[in-house]
Amino acid sequence: MKSKEQINIINEAINKAKVDLKPLGFNFIFWGIFITIMCIIHLSFPAFIQQTKFSAVIFWVVLPLVGMVYTTNYNIKIGIKKGYETHIGRVIKIVWMVFGLSWILVIIPVSIINNQNPVQNIVLLLALTVFTTGLILKSKSVIVGGVILFLLFYSIEFYPLVNTLVYTIIAQIFGLLLPGLVLYNQKDE
Amino acid sequence: MNKDLEKLLFNPIRLKIISFLISVDKSSFKSLSKISGATKGNLSIQIKKLNEAGYIKIKKSFNNNYPNTTCSITIKGKNSFKLFFKELQLYKNNQR
Repeated sequence: MKSKEQINIINEAINKAKVDLKPLGFNFIFWGIFITIMCIIHLSFPAFIQQTKFSAVIFWVVLPLVGMVYTTNYNIKIGIKKGYETHIGRVIKIVWMVFGLSWILVIIPVSIINNQNPVQNIVLLLALTVFTTGLILKSKSVIVGGVILFLLFYSIEFYPLVNTLVYTIIAQIFGLLLPGLVLYNQKDE
Repeated sequence: MNKDLEKLLFNPIRLKIISFLISVDKSSFKSLSKISGATKGNLSIQIKKLNEAGYIKIKKSFNNNYPNTTCSITIKGKNSFKLFFKELQLYKNNQR
């Protein structure tokens, strides 16, 4: 085999290792829609969601946990079907695992103990995760989504009178849903 | 050039396997078979050779009672392949 042939084989094999952006786009879209629907339910039936001290906490913890189980299962199935994991894919997986663990183990318990609304902290954590994902993927739309989430985090600080659920809906649409649609329709890299 | 690796990678299937594994974190046996175009039997022999030379790691497990073989490149494999590729390019450039 000549050196030119060997280089061609190497290039061909390397080019087959594509970063599949569709599943990540699906995750973004799923969470964007899921949390927006939850916010609309909460806004429409506040008396029902907030009937006891912990009913809102249960609503905002149990349902996202169900969503997490569904998306984890989806991601495992997609991983098995694809058969390989790229370096970028692994890094993004770890970044979102850190987000999930921080949300469950830090933000929610701290909010319950201090009796404080967790939305602002979740928006900051989401902003950091989306922004990091955008930088890793070199995706402008995801980076912009992260920047919008950062702006929303500061908006909650300076305009606390606006309902946090409205902020959450805006955060989901601009931080997850729209970047997710772009990722879902983007060609593999 | 690393003579051992050069000898191993003279086989196009082994070259495809190691080139693909360097660009991914891990790959299933099925995926390697698809990418290399090798039959299951042939692929088993080739990955065994690469594993014995210490260039790749093979992990065997079960997924829903089905055997699942995953391969990944070792640090030795990565370093040797980088050197191999660099020297291959130098050799190609010198031929011009």
